Amino acid sequence: MLAKLYIQFLKFGAFTFGGGWSIVAQMKEIYVNREKVITDEELLDITSIGRSLPGTMIGNIAMFFGHRMAGFFGGLACMFGMITVPMIVLILITSFYTAFQNNLWVASAMRGVRTAVAPVILSALMGMVKSAFKFPPCYVIALAMFGLYFFLRMSPVWLVIIGAVLGLLMCEWYERRSH
Amino acid sequence: MLLLELFWSFVKIGFTSFGGLSMIPLISAEMISHGWMTAHEVSDIVAIAEMTPGPLGLNCATFAGMRAAGILGAFVANMGALSPTYTLCAVAAIFFDKFRDNKRLGEIMTGVRPACVGMVAGVVVDLVLVNYAEAGNIHLPSVILGAVDLILLLKFHVSIPKVLMLSAIAGVIMFGVIGL
Repeated sequence: MLAKLYIQFLKFGAFTFGGGWSIVAQMKEIYVNREKVITDEELLDITSIGRSLPGTMIGNIAMFFGHRMAGFFGGLACMFGMITVPMIVLILITSFYTAFQNNLWVASAMRGVRTAVAPVILSALMGMVKSAFKFPPCYVIALAMFGLYFFLRMSPVWLVIIGAVLGLLMCEWYERRSH
Repeated sequence: MLLLELFWSFVKIGFTSFGGLSMIPLISAEMISHGWMTAHEVSDIVAIAEMTPGPLGLNCATFAGMRAAGILGAFVANMGALSPTYTLCAVAAIFFDKFRDNKRLGEIMTGVRPACVGMVAGVVVDLVLVNYAEAGNIHLPSVILGAVDLILLLKFHVSIPKVLMLSAIAGVIMFGVIGL
C-alpha cells in the first residue's frame, strides 16, 4: 500500500509545471473517477484545507490524502513521492547552473530570463489582488507591509505574523459591528 | 551547523508561506541575508522553478540547499520547507472534520493576503532595481525586453514557461550574439 501510494505520487510530482492545480486534476481523474476511493467533495475539502494551511499546497494535499488512505506513514509516502522527481530535476539543474553560470551563452540566456522575472511576479500579483482586499483596511495593511519590507527591511516572517494577527482582529471587529 | 541553519531557515519559510509566489519575499530575505544567493540568483531560481516541475518553495529549497551544502543540503532544506506538512497537516488530518469549517483560518488569511501583496510588490521593485540596471545605470535593452514580456503575459496571456523560454532565446541573441 505504501509503495503504491509512493509510486502514484511520484508520477503526480513529475507533472506539476507551474502550480499545484494539475495535481488536483490528476488526483480527481484517478481517485475520484477511476478508483472511487474518495468523493469529489472530499477532494475539494482536502484541497481547500491544504491550501489554507502554511507550507506547500501540494505537499499538504499529499499528506491529507495519504493519511486518509494509510495513516501518518501513508501521508509520508505520498509526500516523499511527490517531491522525489522535482528534487532530482532541480539537483541536476543546479549542478548545471553552477558549472555553466559564467559561460557566455548560458549567462546571456539567464540575463534574458531575468528581465522576465519581475513581469512574471507582477502578473501573478494581479491575480492575488482580486481576493486580497476583503475589507477597506486591507489596503492599508498592504501599503504598510510594502513600506516595512522595502524601506525598513523587516523580516517577512514577522510581517506575515503581523498580517495574521491583524486579520483576526479585523474580522472580529467587523463581525461585532454587524451584530 | 550549516545544515541546521539551512533547515531552520526553511522551517521559517515553510511556516509563514501560504502558497506560490507569496514565498518569494521570505525566500529572498533569508537567502540574501545568509549569503546563500545573490539578488541575481534569486531571480534565476524563480525563473528556473517556474520552468521545472514541482512547487516554487521546494525548488528554491533544493537550489539553495545544493548551493550551500550539496545534495545533503538540498534534502535538509526540503525537509525544512515541508515541516508544516508533516507536523501541522499530520495533526490536522487526524482532526480533519474539525478543520473543515475552521473559521479562524479564513480570518487569518484575510490579513495575510494583503500583507503578501505588499511584500510581493516590494520584491518586484527589488527585482526591477537589479535586473534592469548595469553598473548602476538603467540598461535600456533589458527594460525593453521586460516591457515586451509584460505585454505578452498581461495582454496576450502567454503562459509563464513560454515567456521565460522566449526571454532566454532573446537574451542569447541580444546579449550573446549582438552584445548589447
